[in-house]
Amino acid sequence: MKALRSLILGGLLAATIGAACAADATIIVSGSGGTLTDVQKSIFQEPFTAKTGIQVENIATTSRVSALKAMKMTGTAQWDVTELTGSDFQQAANAGYLEPIDWNVVDPKHQMPEIARQEYGLAAGSYSTIIGVRTDKLPPGKQMTSWKDFWDVKTFPGPRALQNGALDNLEFALLADGVSKDKIYEILRTDEGIDRAFKKLDEIKPSIVSWWKAGAQPVQMLANGEVFYTSAWNGRITKLAADGVPAAIVWNEGSLKPSYECIPVGAQHRKEALEYLAFLIADAKMNANFAMQMPYPGFVPGMFDFMPIDAAKTMPTYAPNQAVQFASDNSFWVDRRDKLNERWEAWLLK
Amino acid sequence: MRRLSATRFLILPGLALLLFLFVAPLAVILKAGLFEDGGTSGYLARFISNGAYLEVMERTVAFSAIVSAICLFAGYPIAFFIARQTKKWRPLLVFLIFVPMWMSILVRTYSWMILLGREGIVNATLMKLGLVSAPLRLIYTTGSVYLVLVQVLLPFMVMTCYSAMAEIDETHIRAARLLGARPLSAFLRVFLPLSLEGAVSGFVLVFMLSMGVFVVPGLVGGPRDTMMANLIATQVEQTNWGFGAALALVLLATTLAAMSVIRLATRRFVFSPARETAA
Repeated sequence: MKALRSLILGGLLAATIGAACAADATIIVSGSGGTLTDVQKSIFQEPFTAKTGIQVENIATTSRVSALKAMKMTGTAQWDVTELTGSDFQQAANAGYLEPIDWNVVDPKHQMPEIARQEYGLAAGSYSTIIGVRTDKLPPGKQMTSWKDFWDVKTFPGPRALQNGALDNLEFALLADGVSKDKIYEILRTDEGIDRAFKKLDEIKPSIVSWWKAGAQPVQMLANGEVFYTSAWNGRITKLAADGVPAAIVWNEGSLKPSYECIPVGAQHRKEALEYLAFLIADAKMNANFAMQMPYPGFVPGMFDFMPIDAAKTMPTYAPNQAVQFASDNSFWVDRRDKLNERWEAWLLK
Repeated sequence: MRRLSATRFLILPGLALLLFLFVAPLAVILKAGLFEDGGTSGYLARFISNGAYLEVMERTVAFSAIVSAICLFAGYPIAFFIARQTKKWRPLLVFLIFVPMWMSILVRTYSWMILLGREGIVNATLMKLGLVSAPLRLIYTTGSVYLVLVQVLLPFMVMTCYSAMAEIDETHIRAARLLGARPLSAFLRVFLPLSLEGAVSGFVLVFMLSMGVFVVPGLVGGPRDTMMANLIATQVEQTNWGFGAALALVLLATTLAAMSVIRLATRRFVFSPARETAA
């Protein structure tokens, strides 16, 4: 009986606290979690709560399009804001899982470049899939500078890793096969182009010891010497190098992608979510501080003015870096991803 | 009789849980996998017509059978050893078998990654001793998946075998010995048949668990070590729920079929008290 009573009391207490909180709205933000969320919290969310009184609750999530689909089906949006990348964003937008962004609220002075102002999302950050290199494992006097080099196992011997999936790898294969950056998607839109990419991948397959799935895997494999060269997301390699591992980024022919902050359709705090998005891009200095801790910079104009040159050089959108990369094409992937991944799986098992 | 029917209601909460948490979701998966927009879905045809998917299914079955066999040959003697100890030591040994099961499978898999890595403890030791000149490829191989999975699943086998052995009436073996059987003969003709029920149950249990493995092949397996569960996970991530559901049904049906085959094939060797008394 005693246990039952305390249970009831506890429930009442929880209900009271819940009611008290309802006065100040809480928005639920879904993202990758980990360090990224920690930095977002200290740079953006705490000042945001101080200014507006709106609380922010972060939840770490994966397979977000799958989750958004479930929310749409059941009619209960559990998130107010969610991070989405690349073709996930395009797929969610096309499938009607996202609220259109009210740009009059988010960016009333129209300061952001067009790439950041999407109908269904704010490009609040960017990242690039690049080659991560263990510099101490390079043959003496040699530098790896391109996907051609990555494929060249004679000049650069050693174990390698790539991401498990068709996205990026088909592009990298064509680059290794001598295709220029501006022709990649033109060629991939033909059946022969796809065949050509898979044929080139046949060449590198025996040297790939692991096809990674989570972003932490390639970093860990580089750190403990499991692989010498791997595709990876830029920010994690910067962090690895800062931690003292002899690792470097090859920006050349990296695959640059914006990451978007979006509002799920039917979000319970749509108004507050829009305020949150507006806050994310309101201050260039704040964005510079964020990018210096987490090199996934957004597109806020003037951001680089608040950054020392050494920090700027680690950013995928720093002009000299951006110039040598190519922009990953969401519109190519969104319609073809399923088919190409099915072929990818069959190819992988061959 | 009245008292009996009252106690019968006690199964209702459990039954309700099963109904809501198992039967209903299974029905949903059945529907998602077999039907689409009113008509039958083409998912099963897609599975059968794609050689790569069939290969994954075959590999999963073969892999599970091998893991179960290794566990059986390693686990049965361990269980036998524990069962032969005095009553004083048995609980401690059983406890020791249980200890690794309290640790998350994820943690254990990561520990293996540290051990088996290219610059891991095993390779570092071998290199230092001068036994090998270049690091061996240990991790990201099919062998490492077997190793880790046997380590993870062995306790299930040991416990299942042990519980069957613990129930064997010692007097049966003593009777055999008194009637002139040598120790080996007493083991083979009395103890083994009596304990086989546990061994078969252990085999089936380990087989069933192996069929659904997902974490281990994903983390320590090589490029080709994709199992059915990994394939299903990929479909779910890519929002191909219908196809994922169909794959789950194929996996379920295959597991059930394989279990029935194992049960039928071993029936004549296994001593079942129920069957004996009925006859």
